[in-house]
Amino acid sequence: MLKVESVTKIYGEQEASYLALEDIAIDIADGEFLCLLGPSGCGKTTLLNILAGFESVTRGRVTLDRRDIRGPGQDRVMFFQDAGSALFPWLTVEENVNFGLKLRRTPKAERGPIIDRYLTMVGLDTHRGKFPTQLSGGMRQRLQIARALAIEPEILLMDEPFAALDALTRRRMHSFLVDIWQQTQKTIVFVTHDISESILLADRIAIMGVGPGSRFEDVIRVELPRPRDPGDAAFGEIYRSIERQLALEESKLGDEAG
Amino acid sequence: MTTTSTAGRGAGRPGPAIAPARSVVERLRPLLMVLASLAIFFVLWQFLSTFVLNPYLIPPPTAVAAAFVPMAETGEIFKHVSISLVRVVIGFVLGSALAIVLGVVMGRMRVVYELLDPIIEFMRYLSPTAMIPIAVIWFGIGENSKYFLIFWGTFFFVLINTIAGVMRTPIARQRAAECLGASEFQIFILVVIPSAVPYIVTGMRVAMASSFMSIIPAEMLAADSGLGYLLQTAGMLVQTDRIFVALATISLLGFITDRLFRLLVDRTLRRYMAFVSAG
Ligand SMILES: Nc1ncnc2c1ncn2[C@@H]1O[C@H](COP(=O)(O)OP(=O)(O)OP(=O)(O)O)[C@@H](O)[C@H]1O
Ligand SMILES: [Mg+2]
Repeated sequence: MLKVESVTKIYGEQEASYLALEDIAIDIADGEFLCLLGPSGCGKTTLLNILAGFESVTRGRVTLDRRDIRGPGQDRVMFFQDAGSALFPWLTVEENVNFGLKLRRTPKAERGPIIDRYLTMVGLDTHRGKFPTQLSGGMRQRLQIARALAIEPEILLMDEPFAALDALTRRRMHSFLVDIWQQTQKTIVFVTHDISESILLADRIAIMGVGPGSRFEDVIRVELPRPRDPGDAAFGEIYRSIERQLALEESKLGDEAG
Repeated sequence: MTTTSTAGRGAGRPGPAIAPARSVVERLRPLLMVLASLAIFFVLWQFLSTFVLNPYLIPPPTAVAAAFVPMAETGEIFKHVSISLVRVVIGFVLGSALAIVLGVVMGRMRVVYELLDPIIEFMRYLSPTAMIPIAVIWFGIGENSKYFLIFWGTFFFVLINTIAGVMRTPIARQRAAECLGASEFQIFILVVIPSAVPYIVTGMRVAMASSFMSIIPAEMLAADSGLGYLLQTAGMLVQTDRIFVALATISLLGFITDRLFRLLVDRTLRRYMAFVSAG
């Protein structure tokens, strides 16, 4: 279990400091799909970076299976929005997946089958010799997924991974991600500012308020059966209630600016 | 697969998808245009020098060629070319090597960068030409002063580009490697340096071009051989035709070396040269 206990994050020092997160707490169960939803600049990436171990907390603690998170670890893998810069452009599709296996000293004989399995899973097995520049945006995201899954992490941390994709590709990536999640039982923390996306994917949605001092305004459980349909009445109801909540947040932002 | 679609040629036609072959003219066009450009240039030059301008000040191509023949027969020109070329290559290799090593360290270690950057910011404005007098005092007029001057010219271009390349390695790429289990050192070797390669190569190309520019004044002022020396003596004797031979040789040499360098990069570093765009 990934446990976030009253985490506060302050960037910088003294006058130049910025209170990004204030008193954030949540328990993320093994195998859970959690979405972090909130307006731009509210601190979603900050929280994800803390979970990944890239950023330290100012107060509070984050533990994975009761052990403090002190830095990045192979039990957690981060997905970046910009797959183009996260991938290694000088390595082929196959070599990108192999990168982590080599570092983990996976015996050579085992690497081939692992690479095969995950490239097939993401539908890139016929493109193994290509370089990332020769792939489409959706293919690059799938390669990022294969590369991460190959080292068999317990937790996937995803920062708006599909934000730059067109609607159609995005929909495909959604059902693809849900499939993988159901097959592999990973814990997923998924950042988005798209309400539909969060309802489509999540077991729970944590709604974050505007900063400074952003916190969880609400954590709602989505009980809809999968696969979910945005045309569904229940779906629309959840959508509207989240929308109201976010509008409330936006108006706070307006008051401050005005 | 036998639809008679009218939605464009080839729609629904069976068979492998092959890009249509470009016509011969289309493929040869770049080459033809270069040849045309050169032909026009030489004809115009010949005409103007012979009939309009003073052929003594601007010798026509035929006169330049005539001056070239004895220089080639005696091997004089090739001697100067090889001497200059060796100087450029040695200075360039030394300058690049040291600049890459230092640049990589500076790009990665903040203290080193902060301590050295101010000095470099000032020193980079000292062109190799400005360094000629001191180089001669330090190293004499032999080969070492030439190596030093080319080294000097190369060093800063490559250094600044290497630092930029190292610093601009996307943070996402480094973090991704970290998630995959790379240590600090492995990130440096396996991610940062490969990411900097395109920048380093660009710096080296600029440095190469500038080396061919700085070797000339260095040889004019402080040498008894090389293309700059040839240029200098021809100038003293007011042999415009020999001056033009030297100038044409310098252009050609710079051009060929740059092409060879690009070919070498393409053969050995090709996979590192792709810049991945966002998205
Ligand atoms: N390294 C940093 N130093 C100082 N302030 C930072 C730093 N990183 C983020 N912040 C601030 O913290 C706040 C939250 O940033 P964060 O990137 O987490 O937002 P976000 O919710 O991911 O936004 P978006 O949806 O636009 O990606 C912002 O106000 C930002 O300016
Ligand atoms: Mg963000």
